[in-house]
Amino acid sequence: MVVGINGSGARPTPAPPPPWAVAAIAAAALAAATGSVLLAVNSDHVTQPWLHASLFVWISLSYVLCGLVAWRRRPESRLGPLMVVAGFVTALSNLAWSNDPVVQSLGLALFDLLPVVLFMHVFLAFPDGRLRTRLDRVLVGCGYVVSTVGQTCVMAMGAFGADNPFTLVDWSGFAAVAYNAILLVISALALAALAVLVIRRRGRGRPRRRSVTLLLDAFALGLVMTAVLLTWGMLAGPGFIVVQRLTLLVLGLAPVAFLIGLLDTHLGRAGVGNLFVRLRDNPGDLRVVLAGTLRDPSLTLLYWLPQYATWADEDGQPADLPADRDGDRAATVIEHRGAPLAALVHDPSLREEPALLDAVTAAAAIALENGRLQAELRAHVEELRGSRARVLAAGQRERQRLERNLHDGAQQRLIALSLDLGLLESRLGSDPDARAALAKAKQEIAQSLDELRDVARGLHPAVLSGHGLAVAVESVIARAPVPVRLSIELDGRLPESVEVAAYYVVCESLANVGKHAKASLTTVDIQRDGDALVVEVVDDGIGGADTERGTGLRGLADRVEALGGRLRVWTPAGKGTRVRAEIPCG
Amino acid sequence: MRVAIVEDSVLLREGLTRLLTDGGFEVTARCGTADELRRELLVQLPDVVICDIRLPPTHTDEGLLAALEIRAKYPSVAVLVLSQYVEPGLAMKLLADSADGVGYLLKDRISDVPEFLAAVQRVARGGSAVDPTIVSTLLSRRRLDDPLQRLTPREREVLELMASGHSNQGIADRLVITLRAVEKYVSTVFDKLGIPSTSSQSRRVLAVLLYLRT
Repeated sequence: MVVGINGSGARPTPAPPPPWAVAAIAAAALAAATGSVLLAVNSDHVTQPWLHASLFVWISLSYVLCGLVAWRRRPESRLGPLMVVAGFVTALSNLAWSNDPVVQSLGLALFDLLPVVLFMHVFLAFPDGRLRTRLDRVLVGCGYVVSTVGQTCVMAMGAFGADNPFTLVDWSGFAAVAYNAILLVISALALAALAVLVIRRRGRGRPRRRSVTLLLDAFALGLVMTAVLLTWGMLAGPGFIVVQRLTLLVLGLAPVAFLIGLLDTHLGRAGVGNLFVRLRDNPGDLRVVLAGTLRDPSLTLLYWLPQYATWADEDGQPADLPADRDGDRAATVIEHRGAPLAALVHDPSLREEPALLDAVTAAAAIALENGRLQAELRAHVEELRGSRARVLAAGQRERQRLERNLHDGAQQRLIALSLDLGLLESRLGSDPDARAALAKAKQEIAQSLDELRDVARGLHPAVLSGHGLAVAVESVIARAPVPVRLSIELDGRLPESVEVAAYYVVCESLANVGKHAKASLTTVDIQRDGDALVVEVVDDGIGGADTERGTGLRGLADRVEALGGRLRVWTPAGKGTRVRAEIPCG
Repeated sequence: MRVAIVEDSVLLREGLTRLLTDGGFEVTARCGTADELRRELLVQLPDVVICDIRLPPTHTDEGLLAALEIRAKYPSVAVLVLSQYVEPGLAMKLLADSADGVGYLLKDRISDVPEFLAAVQRVARGGSAVDPTIVSTLLSRRRLDDPLQRLTPREREVLELMASGHSNQGIADRLVITLRAVEKYVSTVFDKLGIPSTSSQSRRVLAVLLYLRT
């Protein structure tokens, strides 16, 4: 079997950053962190510099390092570089702690609010680093403009204290109002982004991966705290410093949640080993097993229908593969001999784990192929069973027709003839020769009738169609060649094919007992067991019956199996024979 | 004695009519289906209905159902069921409640005219007639430790005739022995088989058949 695995979003994959670049960036981040600490410690306007600096270092390092991990893992995603940038800009914002008015003013104007917008950008661009909707782009774009251009204008109007060397016009009163407006706008943007995330978290009613949920929660919390912080600063509320530090702490959580997500997927990869076992144990529930292994409860399966050239869901309803640019869902197509077989539709964050996805889809391909072969086999078996049942039913109908013809034809005529002879006899004189001839003729007719009756009964037991299994079996047992104890519990009639099969099981088994078993007692037990009629014939004879030779038992098995039932024979030497037929009767 | 005939074969219906008329019966109704008979019974009740077991439309159990219905609805009307096969299981179904005025014979029996007419008479008068084939099938049924083995050939003959519905007098006539001898045989048979003796002849039929059935 050749199985091709193919992500539907395949495109030229950019190379991951080389290790030296990663090392350089990490070193730069450490240098920046050191710079932050130095700035804070030497600053004459930062209270508790060590605590303050470490909170910023916590954010910038976690963003840079997690960004590097993400970049290495998925070079084609822009999320990693974006996180790295966010980390460095956070460090740059610490220039505002400088005692040099030029550096401080530039730090405040260009980098004080920019990290907030970058965080928002990261949150909205998760998981592939692209802003999906126009709303996302508008929110982030506004943020960038307001946080940089707006701040620069405010600076030019003389904000950020008297030492601001970039003051062009001294409109500090207006600048304060404008600064508050900027804070208000960015708060509003953060809240709008929060709303977008909340809607996205609900995932159009689909359950999300747990790691994704955790991450989105961390994002949302960061946005809420940002909005609170900025509003608090604008209103100059008391305890601003506490709120600020709490916010910094929270903002650093998002990369941690990201790492937890990665760990979770690693655990998922460990589950691939169990996947085959679970697929073997629950072959019917492929979706549940795959969703469990991929830790993506939203996972759905689509099947390719070559005859319609379309995708269909598990209920057979036509469905579309999610488009590549639809960031909300992603599809991975499973191919077999170059043709699509099925597709996993999953959370796009799973693309972070191509190895896991590959392993799971390979397992799924095997299971699907097995399932397809099994389904094919089942269809063939079903077809065969159907044709066997039709052949039997046709034979049965033909036998019934012949029996009826005999009954209404030859037998009826012979009876009428013997009646005529009887009438003739009563009018006949006392001629002994004539009487003897008549008696002989009547006897001949009686014998013919007996023989015809045997033929007709062999063709089809009319008593069965007419009066049901219980009456028919009672007659069989009365004529049985061995003593029989009958126990029959049935209320009402059963489908005719079932009655006929059960009847022949009893007849054939009793005939076998009479021929071979040397039994002293045979019991016949007939009863309903749920949806099946169970017929059991047990003798206390010599056992060891040959179940292969002769057509009797084979024919019975055919008859029973054609109705979807089964016939089993136990015949240990010296311990009697037990024939058990289970025939479904709805 | 009035007879109604239900038989879908015209040939047999006419033959039966002739046979019964010649035998001194008055055939009051000749029907091809059970429904026709039901309509006739609303007009006039015969003493006995002679009924084929396989009747239109399905030729399965219409005749049997009609017979059971008549016995339940018109206790004064006896029923003699004719069939091309006799089945012990069906005999039991037909006689289950009472053997009074019930007969179940193979159609072949009509060729022995005197015997057949006697059976019709017997059933019409509230007795019973069970086809000898059924009785012999039941008698020859294999049994563990068969008590029938303990019967003498003569006692076996008496048992067979009893089971077929013959009265003591009938048995005496057939076997050309005295009524007293028959009575003695009957009580010996009942003793040997452990059947509680009963004075009613039809109940005796049922008791014997039930005994033979197991």
